[in-house]
Amino acid sequence: MQEASFLILTALAAGSQHGYGIISQVAGISGGRVRLRAGTLYTALDRLRADGLIDVDREEVVDNRLRRYYRLTPEGGQRLAAEAARLQANATAALTRLNPGLGVV
Amino acid sequence: MSESAELERAYRRLVAYYPRSFRRENEEEILTVLLATGREGQRRPGFGESADLVKGALRMRMGLSRAPRTVLNAVRLMYLGAVAEVGVLVTLVLTEGSIRAAVMHRVPGLTAAQLGSLNSVFIAETVILPFVIALWLWMAWTNGKGNDWARVAATVCCAFCTVGMIVDMADGTARYAPATLLAAAVTWVIGLAAIVLLFLKQSWPYYARQS
Repeated sequence: MQEASFLILTALAAGSQHGYGIISQVAGISGGRVRLRAGTLYTALDRLRADGLIDVDREEVVDNRLRRYYRLTPEGGQRLAAEAARLQANATAALTRLNPGLGVV
Repeated sequence: MSESAELERAYRRLVAYYPRSFRRENEEEILTVLLATGREGQRRPGFGESADLVKGALRMRMGLSRAPRTVLNAVRLMYLGAVAEVGVLVTLVLTEGSIRAAVMHRVPGLTAAQLGSLNSVFIAETVILPFVIALWLWMAWTNGKGNDWARVAATVCCAFCTVGMIVDMADGTARYAPATLLAAAVTWVIGLAAIVLLFLKQSWPYYARQS
């Protein structure tokens, strides 16, 4: 899974978000490192929807502007959990090898 | 016109590059996001965000936005193959005179018939190469869309190319035209790598879904 997809799914894990919300959440989660641009975001959203990992939750009009909220599907939740577990296992292995004396970090 | 209206129009021009079906569903919402991320008093889209939108639109138009990385890389290689063939064509056209001179120098006393066949080789190459370039581009385009027949067609092309290389080597091209053989080998390797990527495990679901 690409990092952008992982971060978008993570942004939606706590509840549905609209496009701009996802961008701010992803920036927050990555500590400001990943700032998604609109083109990248919508290419990723289109793909995640096609893969059945996210779905449209609802639409709202705020100040004459359309806001579409996306949510994680159950399959999206499972995929995110599996990917997070994989990353965690890798990170743990790396940290354990870097600090052999400390055991589990 | 106010600054925000001007900015919105500029964004709409960029979003117009996306496929119609995608725009119908997403245009208003993308506009919301673009305008929300804009700076105060911004009149024109920044270079980075413009490039990002055009890139997204291109990928979507090529059908690549949903392709796995393996297919994406295979398609990139095929475009690289087309570029390499353009390089071959340009080199051929630019160096035709010196190739001719070299042939005359090495094989003095060519008959009129032999000169005629040398000419026809040049003409054939300059006529065929544009078709070969078009073939690379077509294969890149159709494989990007995940057409199963395109994958088979690309494999057949690669097989022909392999046979061509073997024939060339048997002909002794390596001896009298090493540059030609090198060019053929480079495009052959690019093509082969693309085919391998298309048949990797990760590529299969994409072709199964599209066909």
